[in-house]
Amino acid sequence: MSNSDNHDHKAAPMVDEISDFEALEVAVRELCIEKGLFTQDDHNEWTEYMHTLGPLPAARLVAKAWLDDDYKQLCIDDPVKASLEVGINWITSMPSNFGTPSDYCNPRILVDTPTLKHVVVCTLCSCYPRPILGQSPEWYRTPNYRRRLVRWPRQVLSEFGLQLPEDVEIRVADSNQKTRYVVMPVRPEGTDGWSEDQLTEIVTRDCLIGVAQPRADRKADDKRPIIRAVHAYGH
Amino acid sequence: MTEPIPLLEKIGKEGRVWGDLCEQYGVDNPDPPWRVLLESTCEVLNEGSCVLPSLERRDEEDDLVDGHYKHIPHPERQLLALAHSMILRGVISEEDLEKHMKTVMARLNAV
Repeated sequence: MSNSDNHDHKAAPMVDEISDFEALEVAVRELCIEKGLFTQDDHNEWTEYMHTLGPLPAARLVAKAWLDDDYKQLCIDDPVKASLEVGINWITSMPSNFGTPSDYCNPRILVDTPTLKHVVVCTLCSCYPRPILGQSPEWYRTPNYRRRLVRWPRQVLSEFGLQLPEDVEIRVADSNQKTRYVVMPVRPEGTDGWSEDQLTEIVTRDCLIGVAQPRADRKADDKRPIIRAVHAYGH
Repeated sequence: MTEPIPLLEKIGKEGRVWGDLCEQYGVDNPDPPWRVLLESTCEVLNEGSCVLPSLERRDEEDDLVDGHYKHIPHPERQLLALAHSMILRGVISEEDLEKHMKTVMARLNAV
């Protein structure tokens, strides 16, 4: 195979411009290193760790629990131990090897039922179960979500497109420096006989935060079509 | 609310945010490549040196995002808030930061 064969594809577009923000990020980081606040090695270790995080382990944990009642009980009783089965060690997997600086070592799994829906927030800042769920989405950090969810959970969930019947109780869990929550939603209809891998695919990040429900026809990596609203006056 | 910092105000006003750059270059990555580096900087500042504990930083970020950097999107505003907090504590000076940014710009644009 020739070189030209190897490169017979169109490269994805890239931003070929250094913005002021990019330069600012580098400058802040390098000045911190220059002042001895941390080393480049410290920083690299965190960055590599951050790159490995994502919602897949939590999705698999939920899928396993849907298929195995004993495992589901373990998720409730000892989430640290249950997380080990999906490759996450809350105690030693962080770069510091003794938990994280803010001790994210008390994960809790909140089990939904047909009449009880959990949803997670951090009213104080933006605490999030990163080891098992990755980086928090932008909206999770906003004061707007944090402030309103605890007062008007039903309304906020409806803004996410999640309309819950009145007889479903909503419980808001407020994360903090020690305790991080993951929601285990109800297994949706239409998934009988599915394998663990198939079930894992439909447990999206938003389902694990509690602002969405899993559906048999929607996978986490699906492209999401934008359905435009119809203007009431037909403009 | 703290006083505005002219260098950061200028970056907030004139700097090109990731969304604009994506539109121009046809890129659909939701996050700029430096976002993960910024997150790491916040973590190591909290962990190692205790210069800027996470909760203090997030409190200040909330205030700043509600004030000086209200119209800046995330993560650009997180970055501005971090720089603001560092300058406020005298950990880095505005002058040093401006000077170092010029050096970084020259280095990254070198051909």
